[in-house]
Amino acid sequence: MKLEKAKLVVQGLKAAGVDFTAGVPDAQFIEVYKMLAADPQMRYVGTANEAEAVGVGFGAWFGGKKPALILATSGLLVATYHLARVNILHEVPLLVVIPYRGDIGDPRWMGLYKKTTEPGLDAMDVPYRVVSRSEDIVRTIKECNESARAWLRCIAVVLNEEALW
Amino acid sequence: MVTRLALLKELASMIPEDVLVVSSIGNNSGFWGQLAVREANLFHATLGMCTPAAFGLAMALPNRKVLSLDADGNLLLNLGVLGTVANENPTNLIILVMDNRNYLGSHKKEPGMPTATGGKMKLEQVAKGCGIESACMVQDAAGFREKIKMALSNSGPHFICAQVEPLDIERPGKDKRIPDPRENKYEFAKYIERTNGVEILGGGLGNFG
Repeated sequence: MKLEKAKLVVQGLKAAGVDFTAGVPDAQFIEVYKMLAADPQMRYVGTANEAEAVGVGFGAWFGGKKPALILATSGLLVATYHLARVNILHEVPLLVVIPYRGDIGDPRWMGLYKKTTEPGLDAMDVPYRVVSRSEDIVRTIKECNESARAWLRCIAVVLNEEALW
Repeated sequence: MVTRLALLKELASMIPEDVLVVSSIGNNSGFWGQLAVREANLFHATLGMCTPAAFGLAMALPNRKVLSLDADGNLLLNLGVLGTVANENPTNLIILVMDNRNYLGSHKKEPGMPTATGGKMKLEQVAKGCGIESACMVQDAAGFREKIKMALSNSGPHFICAQVEPLDIERPGKDKRIPDPRENKYEFAKYIERTNGVEILGGGLGNFG
């Protein structure tokens, strides 16, 4: 991804008031992870897997943080049990930002994730927005986090390659 | 060997009211809720989520002691969190594992299938290997009291593996209501808001524009 697009993602997180981030780095979003890890304001915690990241974000929310999880499409599958539990049973708001493997614009064949990402979010009752234009990145991240915190629900922002490249 | 109930009674008698306790699902939450009616309890952390949640809470509130009341099967599902804890080094975190060496679940008459600690695995050695220097195992009430007292009064992170009876042969009464996850969320969040001066639930409205 281009550096300026990664900057837009971080800018969106800051505009949303996010001050705590967790996840497992993936190649598609590596510039975002690097920026978060270098920014004390975003307090990035690198976890061993994405389900652990859900638990960490859940705990951080109870401590007054505004957490976001930065998850790959594969990582969303790993996180599924805990994310479903946090969203449906506890109703605790976690913003989830996902670079969309397998959607339009992905130069590699990752169709698996087209089949799992949106149906998976639907199954977990996590509302989401797919962002295809880079000019929508900042606003969508901000608005999704506002809704998550108002509704006490997890909400996902899914950024496809059209928006990121 | 000591029972889970006996150690939780010890813990309830020792723990200051402002120490935040995150408890795993099953008998840890069920027993703890009967023994310690307190605002600082966050219940029902499912398999793999107890210590990560306690760790996230400890990171967000470095001025508060946080105790993860975890269990062997629960911790094993996300064992990597011990490495994360070691590297982030939250000095206010205590991880207490009730290690009964089996997936007890709702079994009441006989233990469940064994966990890895029912075989060769030693969790306190795993914790040390992950980089948590203060890691120990206890097998009786006296050792438990000593280690909990030490952990409450010294900077951590601390890891205490308490080996308990495989079966919960002693159980508390069920006269107290354990709040469900949503009820507990509101109560616990309001308690944190009040005692730490942070905003969690907010006004219930977004701030668009």
